[in-house]
Amino acid sequence: MQSQSPAPDALVAEIDARVGAAVARPGSVADAIDGVVPGVVATPATAGGMAKTLAWATETGRRVVVRGGGTKLGWGPPPESVDLVLSTKGMTAVEQRHDDLTATVQAGATLAATNDVLGRHRQWLPLDSPWGDRATIGGIVAANDSGPRRQRHGAPRDLIIGMTLARADGLLAKSGGIVVKNVAGYDLARLLTGSFGCLGVILTATFKLAPVAEASRTVSVELPESARFGPFAADLLAHASTPTALELSTPPARMLIRFESVESVVVEQADQAAALGRGHGGTPVILSGEDETAAWRTHETLMFDREGTIVKLSIVPSELSATLVWLDEAAGARGLDYVAIGRAGLGVLYLGLTGPVLEQASLVTTLRERLPAGRGSATIQRADPELKALVDVWGPVGDGLRIMREVKRRFDPTGTLNPGRGPGGL
Amino acid sequence: MDAAFLDELEKIVGLDGLVRETGELLTYASDGLVRLRERPAVAVLPDTLDQVQRVVRLCHRARVPFVARGQGTGLSGGALPHPDGVLIVMTRLNRVLDVDIPNRRITVEPGVVNLEVTRQVAAAGYYYAPDPSSQVICSIGGNVAENSGGAHCLKYGFTVHHVLGVQAVLADGELVHLGGAALDSPGLDLLGVLVGSEGTLAVVTKVTLRLLRRPEAVQTLLAAFDSTDAAGNAVSDIIAAGIIPAALEMMDRTTIRAAEAAVHPGFPDAEAVLIVELDGPRSEVAALFARVDSVCARHHAWGVQVARDEAQRERIWMGRKAAFAAMGRVAPNYYVQDGVIPRSRLPEVLRRIRQLAIESGLTIGNVFHAGDGNLHPLVCYDDAVEGQADLAEQVASEILTYCLDVGGSLTGEHGIGADKACHMPKMFTPVDIETMQLVRVAFDPDQLCNPGKLFPTPRLCGEVPGPYRAHPVEIAGIAERV
Repeated sequence: MQSQSPAPDALVAEIDARVGAAVARPGSVADAIDGVVPGVVATPATAGGMAKTLAWATETGRRVVVRGGGTKLGWGPPPESVDLVLSTKGMTAVEQRHDDLTATVQAGATLAATNDVLGRHRQWLPLDSPWGDRATIGGIVAANDSGPRRQRHGAPRDLIIGMTLARADGLLAKSGGIVVKNVAGYDLARLLTGSFGCLGVILTATFKLAPVAEASRTVSVELPESARFGPFAADLLAHASTPTALELSTPPARMLIRFESVESVVVEQADQAAALGRGHGGTPVILSGEDETAAWRTHETLMFDREGTIVKLSIVPSELSATLVWLDEAAGARGLDYVAIGRAGLGVLYLGLTGPVLEQASLVTTLRERLPAGRGSATIQRADPELKALVDVWGPVGDGLRIMREVKRRFDPTGTLNPGRGPGGL
Repeated sequence: MDAAFLDELEKIVGLDGLVRETGELLTYASDGLVRLRERPAVAVLPDTLDQVQRVVRLCHRARVPFVARGQGTGLSGGALPHPDGVLIVMTRLNRVLDVDIPNRRITVEPGVVNLEVTRQVAAAGYYYAPDPSSQVICSIGGNVAENSGGAHCLKYGFTVHHVLGVQAVLADGELVHLGGAALDSPGLDLLGVLVGSEGTLAVVTKVTLRLLRRPEAVQTLLAAFDSTDAAGNAVSDIIAAGIIPAALEMMDRTTIRAAEAAVHPGFPDAEAVLIVELDGPRSEVAALFARVDSVCARHHAWGVQVARDEAQRERIWMGRKAAFAAMGRVAPNYYVQDGVIPRSRLPEVLRRIRQLAIESGLTIGNVFHAGDGNLHPLVCYDDAVEGQADLAEQVASEILTYCLDVGGSLTGEHGIGADKACHMPKMFTPVDIETMQLVRVAFDPDQLCNPGKLFPTPRLCGEVPGPYRAHPVEIAGIAERV
């Protein structure tokens, strides 16, 4: 164990010597996580290099944060200190088995770059997580992050079929494989998905892919009030409608409904959705081509390019309207500005908040009180350290926490990986 | 077994819930994999959560191993009892607790039978997607343990994609709730690793499942091919064309003839047939169906039948599902193997299997989930012929090697269980397996929960996999194999 941090240069030399290549550099302000500057940043280009760096860190009692595109480093409570940022950006290969509709992607490849490669065969990894041009596959999997088209394709945990990882002790392990159907052994790939870098370092992930749809339409419906979201979404899903995204944003209240299939189907279903939207007092517009792309880009920026706090809110879909009505009142009463977007069919919402920090804290706390265990959650995904100090970032984890801590202790007994920052303080 | 311990058990489950008599215990000696048999020391049939918890607590205190069992239809010996342990039979926990159509969820106890879930919600236009062939009899608890699939998991995924939350009793008797009615519970995805853990992590006592809306249209096509290569290439081309059918199944000449003789589904006498089922919005099905038809034509398909109505669709599926049982007409005994390959490698692996049949002199039938590369070769032999059972065992193992050679898996849906535990090192390194064991000991440090399954142990691996024998429920015609 270290008693006093040696100079970064000495650590850089130690890591480089261990890996046998120049992979490390001193950390800088640009690498800071919630204001904490890491001692060293290492970017090994191989699985072996990642494993050796990690083994070094564990043996010498360092604290490690794994970083891909850095788009989700604000999740979790601020770190006490960070000795080493282990960057996956040296590992960006994409191996597509197009006639098998699967691909193995190294952790450091961005979502956009991955889908550029896969698109050559008119296939894609059907995830549309935010910041896709910067967010990496490793980070998206570690956070189990997804986007609007989760409505059809699910989250990373639904698409992953295999994984290789570096354990805290520097050993390499794998789970699953490259076949789409497989029940051999424990599904460690799912356990690591959403583990926020607390159990091991994801090196590669293998996914089942989806074909790129031939045709797409999006119906944009302006609604008179957010209370209409719930009944409208329920009506859509109760019909034969098969949207790939069913996304709300408010205020002002708007629903974006996407259909992707063959041309005749998207035309037919878009028309039906528009008619249904009118029935709910809405004003629909059917978008295609560049207008459609632009509408979805705007939708993402509404939340993710906005300054301020981001809270992810999960509820059962039938409580959608009641929750949004409550939110409008609760934010108004506290003098907070807010915007909400999210998956109306699934009950997964994002809430952007600005205004007095104490009031934000009060809103998050009250929101959590509305959500009994198993019926929803509210986790802070981005906030000033000031707010993080007032409210637990993850919220209640439930009675599974005891086993989660045991899993963490077995995988990372020295507390090397992202200590204290994972869900439930893992 | 210690008399005081048995008394305690009786106090918990009552005389009515306790099975101690040797003959009666034999009923529980095996699951669907009947060649592996072990009589439990005692069996209990709790009918409440509280009883399950108290039984597990008692076992934990006395360090007595326990095995949970549902309907016993598993095919890998996952519910094989422990000779010194308690078998916890979960069939009395069979209540439907909550049907929530607005949120498309249902909450049931683990003893509820798979098909019953769909029956509960069918009138509202919904269904539960995972459809193992044993769905008329297998229970949800067993489906969760094995991460069960079925013919339609190609498009809709496996049990893990449809379980939203569970309540489970941990090995020390403590209750835990993982997941829930809302998505994305904060914390590690313990639910994701619990599903498919073959009963080695906890005893599941309540399950919340996702329901799907019935598709607007379903269309089923049967096409004959002059070679398994041609049929295999058609499968690859359908997938490569960006079409994900609801089901995509293949049978070869041996299994076609057996099925035809047994249930007369009207299959053509061909080297191979494909069954392709598409579902979804009516116009989408129509558009994609034309493409599937043209892919088949490109590979010189003939004898194409399109199900005109539900009756014809059912007859096609009956032919497919009867194939396993019908193999009894081809040979007195057979092995059923469950391996997976990348679906693009079907023609080459089927050729290797055919070559192996020629070299070994044994008939090997193939009937399987082609769309996801999940093979079920049936290695036929005659137990009465000296050495043929051993030969068949070697041949079945050799096929697994072919699967692993092309990057496949030891099992696509039957599980590792007691059956394939000793094959695990062929697919996984010692570090891979040890990493899985980190999870095991985090949940159950004393390893009391279904010990001897999934992980290779010297005791197990000294034994060799034996021949397939029909399960009693199968003989009775209640269930078929996939």
